[in-house]
Amino acid sequence: MRIKSAKSLESVTKKVRGEREKIETEVLVCAGTGCLANGSLGVTEALDRAIHANGLDVKLSLGLKTTGCHGFCEQGPLVVIQPKGIFYRGVKPKDVDDIVEKTLKNGEIVERLLYRDPNTKKRVEQYVEIPFYSKQQRIALRNIGKIDPSNIDDYFAVGGYAGLAKALTKMTPEEVIDAVTKSGLRGRGGGGFPTGRKWKTCASAPADTRYVLCNADEGDPGAFMDRSICEGDPHAVIEGMVIGAWAVGAHEGYIYVREEYPLAVKHLQRAIEQARERGLLGDDILGSGFSYDIHIARGGGAFVCGESSALMKSVAGEIGEPRAKYVHSVIRGLHDKPTVLNNVETWADVSWIIAEGAEKYAALGTEKSTGTKVFSLVGKVKNTGLVEVPMGITLREIIFGIGGGIIGNRPFKAVQTGGPSGGCLPESKLDLTVDFDSLTEAGSMMGSGGMIVMDDHTCMVDTARYFLKFLVDESCGKCVPCREGVHQLHQMLEAICRGDGRPGDIEKIESLSDVIVEASLCALGKSAPNPVLSTLRYFRAEYETHINEKKCAAGVCRNLFTFRISEEKCTGCGLCLKACPVDCITGEKKQVHTIDEEKCTRCGACRNVCNFDAVEVI
Amino acid sequence: MTTEKTISLEINGRFFQAREGMTILDVAKREGIPIPTLCYHEALESVGNCRLCMVEITHPDWKGWKGLVTSCLYPVEEGLQVTTDNKTIWNTRRTILDLLLARCPDSDVIQKLAAEYGVTVTSYRKNDVETKCILCGLCVRVCAAKGANAISSAGRGIEKMIARPFDQPPPDCIGCASCAHICPTGAIEYEDTPEVRKIWGHSFKMVKCESCGRPIMPEKQLEFEAEKSGLDPAYFKTCSVCSQRKSIDTIRSAFDMKAVGLGEPVEVAR
Amino acid sequence: MQKTLTITPSRCTSCRTCELACSFKHAGKGGLGIARIRTFMFGEGKNQILTCFQCDEAACVKVCPVEALSRNESTGAIEVNEARCIGCGLCSIACPFGHMNHDGTNGIAVKCDLCGGDEPACAAFCPSRALEYR
Ligand SMILES: Cc1cc2nc3c(=O)[nH]c(=O)nc-3n(C[C@H](O)[C@H](O)[C@H](O)COP(=O)(O)O)c2cc1C
Ligand code: SF4
Ligand code: SF4
Ligand code: FES
Repeated sequence: MRIKSAKSLESVTKKVRGEREKIETEVLVCAGTGCLANGSLGVTEALDRAIHANGLDVKLSLGLKTTGCHGFCEQGPLVVIQPKGIFYRGVKPKDVDDIVEKTLKNGEIVERLLYRDPNTKKRVEQYVEIPFYSKQQRIALRNIGKIDPSNIDDYFAVGGYAGLAKALTKMTPEEVIDAVTKSGLRGRGGGGFPTGRKWKTCASAPADTRYVLCNADEGDPGAFMDRSICEGDPHAVIEGMVIGAWAVGAHEGYIYVREEYPLAVKHLQRAIEQARERGLLGDDILGSGFSYDIHIARGGGAFVCGESSALMKSVAGEIGEPRAKYVHSVIRGLHDKPTVLNNVETWADVSWIIAEGAEKYAALGTEKSTGTKVFSLVGKVKNTGLVEVPMGITLREIIFGIGGGIIGNRPFKAVQTGGPSGGCLPESKLDLTVDFDSLTEAGSMMGSGGMIVMDDHTCMVDTARYFLKFLVDESCGKCVPCREGVHQLHQMLEAICRGDGRPGDIEKIESLSDVIVEASLCALGKSAPNPVLSTLRYFRAEYETHINEKKCAAGVCRNLFTFRISEEKCTGCGLCLKACPVDCITGEKKQVHTIDEEKCTRCGACRNVCNFDAVEVI
Repeated sequence: MTTEKTISLEINGRFFQAREGMTILDVAKREGIPIPTLCYHEALESVGNCRLCMVEITHPDWKGWKGLVTSCLYPVEEGLQVTTDNKTIWNTRRTILDLLLARCPDSDVIQKLAAEYGVTVTSYRKNDVETKCILCGLCVRVCAAKGANAISSAGRGIEKMIARPFDQPPPDCIGCASCAHICPTGAIEYEDTPEVRKIWGHSFKMVKCESCGRPIMPEKQLEFEAEKSGLDPAYFKTCSVCSQRKSIDTIRSAFDMKAVGLGEPVEVAR
Repeated sequence: MQKTLTITPSRCTSCRTCELACSFKHAGKGGLGIARIRTFMFGEGKNQILTCFQCDEAACVKVCPVEALSRNESTGAIEVNEARCIGCGLCSIACPFGHMNHDGTNGIAVKCDLCGGDEPACAAFCPSRALEYR
């Protein structure tokens, strides 16, 4: 049924809220990509069967629904029982009977399914008590894990589309742009460009047609915040886009989603259809006379297609290669028309900002980086997953507070932020506040919010080499500095890691990097030397030992070290002996073990299993 | 009447006037200020692939900000201050040519250009694959300008190349060899015999001059050109030497026949 | 009124001054091969001069793929934009009179441009007024 005015949206919202209030207990099963991969579909089916078999749905006014990703994927499949906020992790279909019997029927806790804090070793019952969640502040992820993304009524129940109704009925396009400007919102896709300013330029560019697009390409390896939003709260993105379209005067738009995100495509597609059916998209939105429609464009998955000009070419059906943006795409974008392109998270923030007020958003974060940002925290950290925190929080709070510290309590070595072309920051920067400008100043960047934590077993030269390899493969190959230059940088790093580094290499890397930064056509090339420049800035000595002494102290570059078992530390437990894939460790039980250096392939299996840190790198 | 906006800008300390929409390179070329280019062609859309034409720009309003831009793409702006040669620019061009020399050590064109910037042996790792192609993309653009759109680049990054789709002879190729002619490094090879032209894996049958029998162009190109220009195919069946001879013969026979008026003035121009 | 290059064959002595003047003017050197005008001797004082007719419906203009040929509206001549020319040679094949040539070194099209509106060099130097610009 079409909702024909802002007034009737209000009554729809009231109605669905009323329905939901009758539900006494709600079982939420995470159906994000991570949990689905871990088998959450089976859990949902089993729960559904068990609830029906026990006749609970009527008796308890029970609701069962699947939600988007809770962000704590490594613990999945996740089941949350509301309103008590009980958090079960690693749930298997066989656990379902216990959940129904104990928790749903008798209000008891199933101990074994609770989350165990890796630091205190205590079991935690409540969702909100888990440090991973308690320290977060969720705006872009506000509804994820709470609503069923396939049901627009669920979105209405949490106040969805109220922001749009407000924009269309109570605000002029200029007022919307002003509000976004006042909120201080800066693009979440990487560049950090002030969103309000972008819209203003687009709105004032003379043209008969304008476009409003959403960048859901998310090419950074390991990043999944945009996917989670598209899957878990697609209407938040759509609402933001309609608001943006109203502000700049666009009537058509695209969401550019990568082909590898089938679930996101499905959820967005369904959400678009629902929004159209309810009169929130298409002609005469909420009876205002304003029209705007969204199509889905699928990207082939090249990293560079996330770059704005390449994305617009790809949407137009051409080869997705960047072009020089001396005339910016807000003036000449898709089909040469003024175009606003924003990131998924940016759009989700927009709908919140308009609904809740720009001041409320601007009050969060720092002066120049307001609001919150979603990070995908991965690597050698105890709790990995999606975290949304206010800007201005320190790296330490994210890694040690929310992330729970380093796995195995090993020493922290570096954190790589900003995706593949970001930079690595050392321990001395742990108290750096996380915002656009501080990160850039420190030689890294915000990027789209990737955060990879590394421990002392990480070689920084090898790390730079690894990221450069990604960039070599993803460079579109159009311009010489990026195509040839990044390739040569990578070759030099390969040589250094192999033990073929020569004095003067560092200087050569630096001068080539300067040219790549200056002369590349698009931001991929311009930022490609970041991994090597930032590691050179903070870990120069490591490069020097690789080149001059042919040593890799971290024990990663296989030609540059050997393993030896420490006589003092070895207890002769024999774990390493079993772990060695080439059987080159010998030793009697309770005697010091030895490694045959000739046979050893330096795979590091022994070092990883040793509980006493007895396997040493020399 | 639209009055075209005139823009004044400064290049190397001298002031110039330009029309709105011109690029820095357009103005420099007009004024005879040398800027090296490899992927630029006046008749084709500029793409900014080679980065050799980079110049430094700044503006009194930019609070001291300056940076490198590709002159083949950067549109002139009122008050812009351009430097076409300084240490940074020179070093950038030198590095680019050094990189291209690593890619194409055997290209005489690149060798010569690189030598102008003091690079005789590349300081980088030489390409394992033999190629002369610098991926300037001129061939692809000229093919598009011809209207054939037969070739394109394939792959990404260092693996990128100008390729035949699926490694088959490109179905839309008309055999005109414009790509080979425009290629700055001579990377595209073709072979002409009196009967056929071999290019991109095709073997095109040649149309021969109706008078002297010299090969003119591939049959497929002739069909294409006739259709595209709307001219009778006969226009393309005589070589230019024979066309001229025919004109002469016509006149000679007119003399012989003592045709009217031949002693009188003839208006040649319109 | 636009001026025209007028040829009076009966006055031509086939001295080839026009060819020389043309190549000097355009190429700065006196190679006869690169002149855009040519004279022919048919014996018995029957001489003829050939150069571009600047056709109204010019085949060369029609076939050029990159719009390197265009008419100069003030002189009426069809001119080559050398920077645009890609040297494909199509114009010289399409010209039914064989008046279009190509530079042997770079393949760029070469043709009479009526010296851009100045008195064409050929006419200026013709000693017998077989060529006149009027
Ligand atoms: C190589 C490259 C890849 C990019 N990939 C993405 C991406 O996957 N998602 C994204 O939102 N922005 C990406 N960007 C940034 C976009 O170009 C653009 O700045 C952004 O979508 C604008 O939206 P925002 O202002 O909301 O951040 C990429 C940029 C570059 C240079
Ligand atoms: S910088 Fe790299 S990705 Fe960007 S246009 Fe150049 S080659 Fe392509
Ligand atoms: S083949 Fe020649 S013209 Fe084509 S991209 Fe390579 S260098 Fe340029
Ligand atoms: S000529 Fe401008 S980038 Fe190649």
